[in-house]
Amino acid sequence: MSGSDPVLSPSPLYWPVQRQRNRGVRALFCVVAAFVAIYAYLFPGLLSIGGLSKFCQSWFPLALVSMAQAILMLTGGINLAIGATVSLGAVIAATTMSGPLGAPGAIAAVAFAGLGIGAICGLIVVRLRLPAIIVTLAGSFIIGGMALLVLPRPGGEIPAWFSDFLAGGTPVAALLLALIVLAWKLYLATPLGLSLYAAGENPVAAYRSGVPVDAARIAAYAISGLLSTGAGLYVAAQTGSGDPVIGQAFTLNSIAAAVLGGVGFLGGHGTMRGAIAGSLLLSVMVNVMFFLGFPPVAQYVAQGLIIIGAVALPQIGARGRRA
Amino acid sequence: MSDAGATPLFVRRAALFLRSGPFLTVLVVAAVWIVAGLTMAGFGSYGHLRYMLELAAVIGLVAAGQTLVVIGGGIDLSVGAIVTVSAVGVPLLPWDADASGVAAVLAILAGATGIGLLNGLGVAFLRVHPMIMTLAMATFLQGVLIIVAGGSAVSMHNPLVAWLGEARPWGVPAGIVLWVVVSLLTLLILHATPFGARIFALGANPLATSLSGVDVRVTTMAIFAASGLTAGLAGVLMLGMNGQGYVGIGDPYVLASIAAVVLGGTSILGGSGTYAGSIPGSALLVTITALITVVNASPGWRSILFGSLILGLLLLSGRESRRR
Repeated sequence: MSGSDPVLSPSPLYWPVQRQRNRGVRALFCVVAAFVAIYAYLFPGLLSIGGLSKFCQSWFPLALVSMAQAILMLTGGINLAIGATVSLGAVIAATTMSGPLGAPGAIAAVAFAGLGIGAICGLIVVRLRLPAIIVTLAGSFIIGGMALLVLPRPGGEIPAWFSDFLAGGTPVAALLLALIVLAWKLYLATPLGLSLYAAGENPVAAYRSGVPVDAARIAAYAISGLLSTGAGLYVAAQTGSGDPVIGQAFTLNSIAAAVLGGVGFLGGHGTMRGAIAGSLLLSVMVNVMFFLGFPPVAQYVAQGLIIIGAVALPQIGARGRRA
Repeated sequence: MSDAGATPLFVRRAALFLRSGPFLTVLVVAAVWIVAGLTMAGFGSYGHLRYMLELAAVIGLVAAGQTLVVIGGGIDLSVGAIVTVSAVGVPLLPWDADASGVAAVLAILAGATGIGLLNGLGVAFLRVHPMIMTLAMATFLQGVLIIVAGGSAVSMHNPLVAWLGEARPWGVPAGIVLWVVVSLLTLLILHATPFGARIFALGANPLATSLSGVDVRVTTMAIFAASGLTAGLAGVLMLGMNGQGYVGIGDPYVLASIAAVVLGGTSILGGSGTYAGSIPGSALLVTITALITVVNASPGWRSILFGSLILGLLLLSGRESRRR
């Protein structure tokens, strides 16, 4: 990139722009901070390296899929195949990890599968102009079927050292997340990244201004696939084996986190920091409810209510101000 | 309309009809049935075709409400949960005093309509995006269902529901009769009433519709309530055919109903389409599932085939959306 890059070398406009972008998610940040405070109060063990890394490990996969969902929603798409893609990543990791190529080969296979599946979905949606919701819904069956073919029943094996490295007592997950956020910042500074918001907000205007709309959208699908299979790899490392249906809950949760984070359905609206904060809120909420002794299914009820509340409250507030 | 000259009106109408989505979908279904009936033993038998139509009736009922919602510019992802609510709810209602079982069914249908109405309230008044609202509703219902019904299946002893699942007045299964009645009503509402015109207007341009004096909120609530009602009906029919309900029984119907609607030529973006396409769309989906079952593949391949076939059919019938 050239020296006048807007992200790498802060111009006088950088911080005002960031403040502007934070405006929509400030309330969310306050709620997240409050929930984290409650969690830390209930569970003082959180405030140690071990507690923090354990929490980051439980949060990490959700953060990844929320980013995967948010990047597509920013382009005006949606991915209902995220759960299936996570499962596929998990089973590929569990079956290739102990193979001849070892961990590097498995990571490469998982990354390649994610990028490839994402790119194919993107090509179908963008080039053939089919609605994303249906393509990814049908795609979830195809990808889920592939996961079942790779590993018909839970099994496979992840070497213990690999699980210990990713999901042991060290804050590797937190570091990885920081690296991924940094990579996202860098991506936003590339031509494709810059096109992302433009392609989502107004594709026709963006196209006529010379923005590579199609390429930006297909790249977004590929990155989304990569993040999803990456989450699958991590889940496999956490559980030590592969499960062809382990990812199912991630589809809804990723949408919930992105929406909580203020990412709009119509494209071009929202921020990745919002989506990540949304995923943090969901996972803190689950942990707090678990700690308070709620039955696991009560999570569903609470989650449904919280999502509606989080989306509806700003609307009601806006109307109150207008009246 | 007379300026087109040589070609008479009915010829142009006929040409339009032959190129319409619903008709093409019927052609595809007919072609698949004929080929499969000639190549596979038992596929074309009267009993098997009737059984497939019975299964299609369940999808068709869910798709009826889904069609209204999609034409109105929304989407209902909670239909699966509502089907489950009614399939699990009827046996759980402790109303043994009513020997005919009508009261329990009516109560559940009212409940399903109420859930749909809540969806509509959220979309219309809280301005929550339909996808979020209905997904959140589905999540909420799933939690409630597991708490109330647990993981085990519940058997029903409801005479009306049993009759719906098993009776064959004039040799036609009652479920298919129900489907025909609902289909006629849906088509009538959609194409022959002011309310139907308002649904199309709402889906095409909500702002213009609102500025034209249409109460957009009432229309939105009505279509979501209708979707809840038809999903509830489908759940009752499912229960009658199955004999028992369990949590998760309605899950496949989210994708199936949306696919039936879109395969039938209704635009997922709203504003155009017809239930006349969703009817053969439902039949097509059941046919695909039946064919995949006949192929006798592993669950993985079955899932891949199902997804690929839907995707392939979409490429054929998705021409309308390509032009937009």
